[in-house]
Amino acid sequence: MFRAAPFRIAVWSVVVFNIIFLGLPTVVIVLASFTAGDLLTFPPEGFSLRWYERLLGMRDFREALGRSLQVALFCTLFAMPSGTLAALAMVRYRIRFARTLQLYFLLPFTVPLVVSGIGMMYVFGDMRVLGSLWPVGLATCAINLPFMIWSVSSAVNRLDPDLENAAANCGATPLQAFFTVTIPALMPGIITGALLMFILALNEFIVSIFLVDASIVTLPVWMYTSIRNIITPDLAAVSVVYILFAIVSIFALDRWVGLDIFLKSK
Amino acid sequence: MQGSNAGRADASPLTRARWRLTDAADTMLSALFPGRARRLTPYIFLIPAFLIVGVIVAGLFYIGDSSLRVLDRSTFLQSEDYSLENYVNIYERAGYRSVLFRTFSGTAIVTITVLLLSFPYAYLMVRTQSSFLRKFLLFNLFLPFFLGQVVRAYGWLIILGQEGLVNGILGQLGLANISVLYTNTAVLIGLIQYMLPFGVLMLAPALTAIDSDIEAASEGLGAKWYQTLWHVVLPLAKPGFVAATVVVFTITLTEFAIPAILGGGTNDYVANAIYDAFFRVSDMGAGSALGVVLIVIGTTLVSVLFALMGTGTVGFLKEDK
Amino acid sequence: MSIKDPRLSKLVMPRRRFLTSAAALGVASMGAGAFPRLAFGQDEPEKPAEIIVRAWGGVWMESLAEGVSKPFEEATGIRVRHDLTEDNEMQPRIWAAVAQNRTPPIHVNWDTSTNATQSALRGVCDTLTPDMVPNLEGLLPAAQPTGFDGAFPIVNCYSYVYVLAYRDEAFPDGPPESWDVMLDPRFRGRVALYNDGIGFEPVSVVMGGGSMDDIPDNMEPAWEFYRQLREQQPLLGEDPDFTNWFQRGEIDVACTIISNARAAKQAGIPVSWTVPREGAKYDTDALWVPAGLPDNEAYWAKQYVNAALAPENMENWCSMLGLPPLRAGLEGPEDLVGDPAYPTTEEDFARLLNIPTPILVEHQSDWFAQFRDIMQS
Repeated sequence: MFRAAPFRIAVWSVVVFNIIFLGLPTVVIVLASFTAGDLLTFPPEGFSLRWYERLLGMRDFREALGRSLQVALFCTLFAMPSGTLAALAMVRYRIRFARTLQLYFLLPFTVPLVVSGIGMMYVFGDMRVLGSLWPVGLATCAINLPFMIWSVSSAVNRLDPDLENAAANCGATPLQAFFTVTIPALMPGIITGALLMFILALNEFIVSIFLVDASIVTLPVWMYTSIRNIITPDLAAVSVVYILFAIVSIFALDRWVGLDIFLKSK
Repeated sequence: MQGSNAGRADASPLTRARWRLTDAADTMLSALFPGRARRLTPYIFLIPAFLIVGVIVAGLFYIGDSSLRVLDRSTFLQSEDYSLENYVNIYERAGYRSVLFRTFSGTAIVTITVLLLSFPYAYLMVRTQSSFLRKFLLFNLFLPFFLGQVVRAYGWLIILGQEGLVNGILGQLGLANISVLYTNTAVLIGLIQYMLPFGVLMLAPALTAIDSDIEAASEGLGAKWYQTLWHVVLPLAKPGFVAATVVVFTITLTEFAIPAILGGGTNDYVANAIYDAFFRVSDMGAGSALGVVLIVIGTTLVSVLFALMGTGTVGFLKEDK
Repeated sequence: MSIKDPRLSKLVMPRRRFLTSAAALGVASMGAGAFPRLAFGQDEPEKPAEIIVRAWGGVWMESLAEGVSKPFEEATGIRVRHDLTEDNEMQPRIWAAVAQNRTPPIHVNWDTSTNATQSALRGVCDTLTPDMVPNLEGLLPAAQPTGFDGAFPIVNCYSYVYVLAYRDEAFPDGPPESWDVMLDPRFRGRVALYNDGIGFEPVSVVMGGGSMDDIPDNMEPAWEFYRQLREQQPLLGEDPDFTNWFQRGEIDVACTIISNARAAKQAGIPVSWTVPREGAKYDTDALWVPAGLPDNEAYWAKQYVNAALAPENMENWCSMLGLPPLRAGLEGPEDLVGDPAYPTTEEDFARLLNIPTPILVEHQSDWFAQFRDIMQS
């Protein structure tokens, strides 16, 4: 099919359009962050690193960044075991009330984030745990959990049940088989899901607004509440910091898992 | 990998300790769940995820409760009695009706456009022989994720503004300015760009599962490319399309940040109206009622889709494969 | 941007007399009799490491930081952290905290008088008393909130005018004389209002053919004017958006608080403001301390309010904002002398429009909802 010229042309035109469409805001923001002027403009006025200096000099920024990394870590730690087990349960076993459970596990997406955020503020408030970072991690995990489950699901789908049977035949107990055969085989899915959860938690601000106060503010909330007030190029500089994270994590993912492991077709 | 040392006599003390731990856990497990009780395994596996999503559900009890209470404007407390007034209000207010209409029509446009744009991207990513191209496409997909919605929306402000990039280029070409920013079109552009990576990521695994030999066989039997696409590839990719539809539809339906920043205040979606009720009007009951309505409509539409099209790759079991 | 501009700082910070401010604070803690031992400067309630004050961003936070927080920090050694969460977003968080018997997320709230009064009615304010906050003495009568029998659950600090701000280039022949310029087809898509319509109600009633007597019982003229305005495709935003939009050439006219227009002008953006012949709305902002703080933190939060009301600090803070403080005898900024949007005398105020706070408290939410309804249709 892909050899047919019209199809090839159609696919490539859409892909080129998508690449520009996806990349354009990123490119604009990155370039604008190096402006020497006081305004976020494109093309930037001159070149300077002044906004980066300003940003790195801000104690609030460094502290908020540290907290966001913690939140993202908590989120990932909650997501990995729960998402992996749920994916195994869903794909491997026949479950009663499957339809209802499907809709239940879609609630993170069907409930507006503003509503989830206010609801969780009351829940965590009643539990007397507001003011710590782990509830924020738990909240960011809850609102994005379907992504973790689906990433692992597609790995479970790929997993050959004979592997586990072979392990059992060789005398492995169920737990041994689980930890030495199943989990390693699912690793690509787990790591992809974990990366996605980490990124989404690192950027979350709508739910977090209700769960943090000024003394434990996370980076996206800090950005949303303080920099949104006066849009200076530090906003863009923060984004470039995020992009550096992106490049490091994507590189790491490629090294550990191989970026294209899932997508290479037979 | 972990298990590769199994059986070797010179295993380290740490490894031995781990074996013993696993053995002990196994013994405990079989004592606790002998034979038939193993049927409970999937339900036990679901407990942690169920509880985590349960935090949202617990919050919904507060929301549901306050949606049935009316705000008293002399004490700014909610009434003790329950009533359906907040729900009646949604039905009666013209503003809410037009916000609901804008949200659902916008979500439909975004979902369809994202599916159309995602398929070629996912297809090329899956089928290309070049590892470099595949990685580049994936990288390009993941990068915007890291940027977050707010920053991306500000990127669009710079691109689409009156004195922005697009109008700058149009000016150079001697063409008239466009005023797209702060219209529903700008919101749609922002939403499509935001949702595109989600669409591709949900579609790609389904395409991976289609053996390229099947395409070759179809063409070997004389089918044209569009016949192969329509009769072979698209039907086989259906689970992926269902998954992408569900994700793009539900997230767009409840989106807040992009309409808030790119809509200029007059192109609100339901989530913005909920925000306004909660915060600008200080009426938690009104906001909650609107939230409940959105959740019910969204969940109903998804279950209809599941009933018609199967659950795709977001579902349980391999029934759809 | 604007407030980082050194020209601006020079202009609005005429004098810094921190020592005097510190002295004022000293007086503060020597309250009348309730805490006799404090007179010896010992046994003060334990100082928290920091207190959190909610503020608006831009020139608002900068003025508070320079005029109040800095002298407070120097006098007490307590770090002041500014929380820039929107006032509207903060309100339900404080309400929820008090309802759940939790410690509220901030120590001092800087709020519109209407929102603050709502919180006071709900009973989430820790009342300010002259023995704890001696600088309540000597304020103008308008500083006192209405409907609380002389008590101060909140304290109003200054008044401000919602002016008609305009881009100089769009008005080469001088300032617009009437609010009807907002309906001029020339400015289609280039008109801006607050996103809840705040500050525009008396004007919209008058423009729609009604009079001040119609408020609050007959608001139909206002809705009619909003419907006409809707056809103009206005932009709706918050304080910083106006500056931003003027800067990027997105708008030509806006109804915004004078402070935002003045900050934009001082940052070099060609913007001016005027009070059209129909008048313009004025209102006040307030400070208050949420209930439910630990005793020592509540004490220091009130000392912060006291510091904000100290004459010297109040003068600096309000001068930077370009707003007349609710305390007699303070000097205003030179650039605003004689400006109708900087009202100081009875006559000045008579030219402006005001809706009493109790009416706003009762009806404003409904007006916001109606405004939304029209603008979203």
